[in-house]
Amino acid sequence: MKSLLIKMNVNGVDREVLVDPDDRLLDVLRDELNLKSVKEGCGTGDCGICTVLMDGKPVLSCIIPAFQANNHKIVTLEGLNSDPTMQKIQQSFRKYQAAQCGFCTPAMEVVGWHLLNTEKKVDKNRIKEAISGVLCRCTGYYDIVDAVYEVAQQ
Amino acid sequence: MEQAVFNLSQIEVFQPASLKEALKILNDNRDAEIIANATDLWPRIMNGEVKPKKLVDISGLRSELSYVKREKGVIRIGALTTISELSEHQFVSEKRYRAFNDAIKLFGSPQIRNRATVGGNICAASSSEDLIPVFLAYDAKVKLASVDGERIVSLDKFVVGKRELSKRHNEMMTEVFFEEPDDGYSSVFYKIGRRNTLIINLVNLAVVGKVQDKRVVDIRIAANRVKGKIPERARKTEEFLKGRTLDEETIADAQRVFGEELSLSDDFRASAEYRKQVLKVLLKRGLNVLGV
Repeated sequence: MKSLLIKMNVNGVDREVLVDPDDRLLDVLRDELNLKSVKEGCGTGDCGICTVLMDGKPVLSCIIPAFQANNHKIVTLEGLNSDPTMQKIQQSFRKYQAAQCGFCTPAMEVVGWHLLNTEKKVDKNRIKEAISGVLCRCTGYYDIVDAVYEVAQQ
Repeated sequence: MEQAVFNLSQIEVFQPASLKEALKILNDNRDAEIIANATDLWPRIMNGEVKPKKLVDISGLRSELSYVKREKGVIRIGALTTISELSEHQFVSEKRYRAFNDAIKLFGSPQIRNRATVGGNICAASSSEDLIPVFLAYDAKVKLASVDGERIVSLDKFVVGKRELSKRHNEMMTEVFFEEPDDGYSSVFYKIGRRNTLIINLVNLAVVGKVQDKRVVDIRIAANRVKGKIPERARKTEEFLKGRTLDEETIADAQRVFGEELSLSDDFRASAEYRKQVLKVLLKRGLNVLGV
């Protein structure tokens, strides 16, 4: 029996979900709310693939107990799909072929979007810092940096 | 088939709405563990290293425990202040606090910095926590609160072993604070690991000091390991350096004294010999920064 009731705003919608003490925010987003852009990589807070925005800041949903999301605002890539900046980022990812297997792509796009939405002047080093917490094992990162940089210059 | 000896879903979770309520719960539940923003503790619960029966979730106490205050020559940092919030405070950009700036930049990843807390890093109490040597080098003290009131303990008496804190079961660390060194002080922090993000340090070193006309007026040196496996001050090396003229010969002698003071052990990350060699090099670099 799930024992804890949590209330959170996910992608603009207020939700109430029953969770177990050992459920992670990641589990609730994927399994209860069907938000499959959020992926599990390492499960230990190292790879960054499970990144979501919590109260506007990138965090790792695999090491956040679901009960700690109570009364917080969560945004996943699904919640940003119609945002103009995110659409530009996604077009740019296609142009630069910044996705290969695609597993890290949602997390890369979310941290890229967060950077462009919080800072006015963004150079390539700043982009590298912003994506440094997300591992990609295919692209070698350059295409991802270029894709975000092109949007930063617009 | 393995018998499930511990069922995570049976953990009892308390979510107090105030510090006062949290302290009451801690007092009434001897077997309760404090969980802040969970970046260190949660993975250790998930892999079975820590098996709490009860958790007191203090992440909701941010209005009381997240702050950086600078008043009357003292810097006070609330236990729930995140590393990102610490990085945004103006004091870390000053020369005398460069060690903080250096440590923050190398702390985990951006996502981790948005969650990990200053109090959590201290209370995690292992040699891989970078803020402990930094705070040690500023002679920091911690404030412990309980239903019985508050008491102050110096940080080197608080972190006493690997994952070991000297505190009563009903106490919670609520603040870390230190007297501001005057602006003639300089500081630096180094961390050596295998990559630039999400490093688990092999060694780290914080140096805070004041050098006037090449003479060492004051110096404090702290590393993640000096003796054994806990962060500590290198007091013999400090004593050696105090009052001396900081030239090449003194630095070489200080490296030798430091090497003799270090009593390190091997582990799977690095050998004691390697750690000692690197720490001596970092000391030299740090002293050169102070001497400029």
